[in-house]
Amino acid sequence: MSHSEKQTLKNFVSLYALLSFSILLLISILYFDFERDFMLRKKQVLLEEYAKELIQNLKYVHINLDKTRKYPRSKNYKSAIFDSSKKLIFSTLENKKVNLEDKLYKTENIIHFIKQPSSYYLGSYYVVVEIVDDELWLNMVYKKLFIYAGSLFFIFLIIGYFLSRLFLRPMRDAIEMLEHFIQDTTHELNTPISTINMNIEMLDSKILDEKSKIKIDRIKIASQTLSHLYDDLSFLLLNHKVISNDEELNLKKLIEQRLNYFEQIANVKKVSLNFICNTEQSIIIDKKKITKLLDNLISNAIKYNKISGNVTVILDEKSISIKDSGQGIKKRNLKAVFDRFERFNYAQGGFGIGLHIVNVIAKEYRLNIDIESKENIGTKVSIRW
Amino acid sequence: MVKKVFFALLLVSTLNASIFETNCASCHKSFPVEIDKFLYRYILKYSSEESVKIALIEYLKNPTKGKSVMPEPFILRFGIKKRSTLSNIELKRAIDDYWLMYKINGTLY
Repeated sequence: MSHSEKQTLKNFVSLYALLSFSILLLISILYFDFERDFMLRKKQVLLEEYAKELIQNLKYVHINLDKTRKYPRSKNYKSAIFDSSKKLIFSTLENKKVNLEDKLYKTENIIHFIKQPSSYYLGSYYVVVEIVDDELWLNMVYKKLFIYAGSLFFIFLIIGYFLSRLFLRPMRDAIEMLEHFIQDTTHELNTPISTINMNIEMLDSKILDEKSKIKIDRIKIASQTLSHLYDDLSFLLLNHKVISNDEELNLKKLIEQRLNYFEQIANVKKVSLNFICNTEQSIIIDKKKITKLLDNLISNAIKYNKISGNVTVILDEKSISIKDSGQGIKKRNLKAVFDRFERFNYAQGGFGIGLHIVNVIAKEYRLNIDIESKENIGTKVSIRW
Repeated sequence: MVKKVFFALLLVSTLNASIFETNCASCHKSFPVEIDKFLYRYILKYSSEESVKIALIEYLKNPTKGKSVMPEPFILRFGIKKRSTLSNIELKRAIDDYWLMYKINGTLY
């Protein structure tokens, strides 16, 4: 999956998960409120009965005030009475905090029911009845929410999976089309490039005049560039089918050889190629692959360099670095430089496959790639092992 | 000096108590319905201390059948009392004493 595909998928999944979560949360809150109201309505019938009983008992005490002033109590509920100025007259409540504005409410596990009697026995303008909620309904609600919300989330995930496929299909189709096009073009390029290269090699430079020599050199450079592109495309198409043929390679020799190969192309831009060799290091690797890796890095360093710039290849004990004096890469683009078909400079030609190939080879041989880049100063790519 | 203040306070408190005793309780003693029952009827109708006291003052200053908390047969039998001759301050003091003496709030257990 390419960087852009991953980014699209990431954005879609984040948005989809957030939306799904919000919907589920909203449904859960509504369901919870509904269940709580339903429970309270069911309890209200019982609480009405208790309130009626309490008012009857208050009436009895009120009528017999000269005989008793004992506040009526019950084992089924606790109660309190308030006067019309909301001043407490008497209370047996467990939860002393009473909201006289609300008729029926639940605080933690305590339910309060407020009733206003028609006659204010003992001055009771508000009668409060309190019962303890066993919260069995709450466990049931949590269980149901867990099952239903879980199932819904699972269904949303499945829908999300199909939606993401639907979303990514046009992008995938475009990439597939591009790959097919490259495959076909590569196939068609093979014969003409080979013919041009073969015929240039066969030309006898001694019998050519100066003007023709210059023209032939130009054709040679153009042919080299085409050949390089052809190699890259072939590698990309055949990468997984090519078996590596690892051997011990002298890197110094190989780098010199590759710099020599790119000399003519560098000359066109007046870019000087330098080589600092600090070791006679050899590594075991497939020659074609390390050549491809170096070619791509050197080619990029020349291609994105300024006129009369320089490219320096440094060989150390544990690394190869290719440093250029080019335009550099923007910090935000650094992450995506290894993605296939990713290009940040359309002024130069190319398909955006060079660094992808470098990354594929580096991964195969467990080589680390470091890129340091400063805009308008240059880029340094280091391959470490 | 301390003695003077003490006696002055005692005199004032005796005078206050006597407003209710002399102007209210003394007449109600001859009544078949005890005086506390009137307050309980006020509480039954007006609930809070403030509302009861306001209603009592209103009634005592200008007693009418409509303002009475007593039932119809009671009014038919005993009629409506005469307008109180006490001043507003005296009336308020007498009602405060009446409330303190027979209130329900704080006496339940």
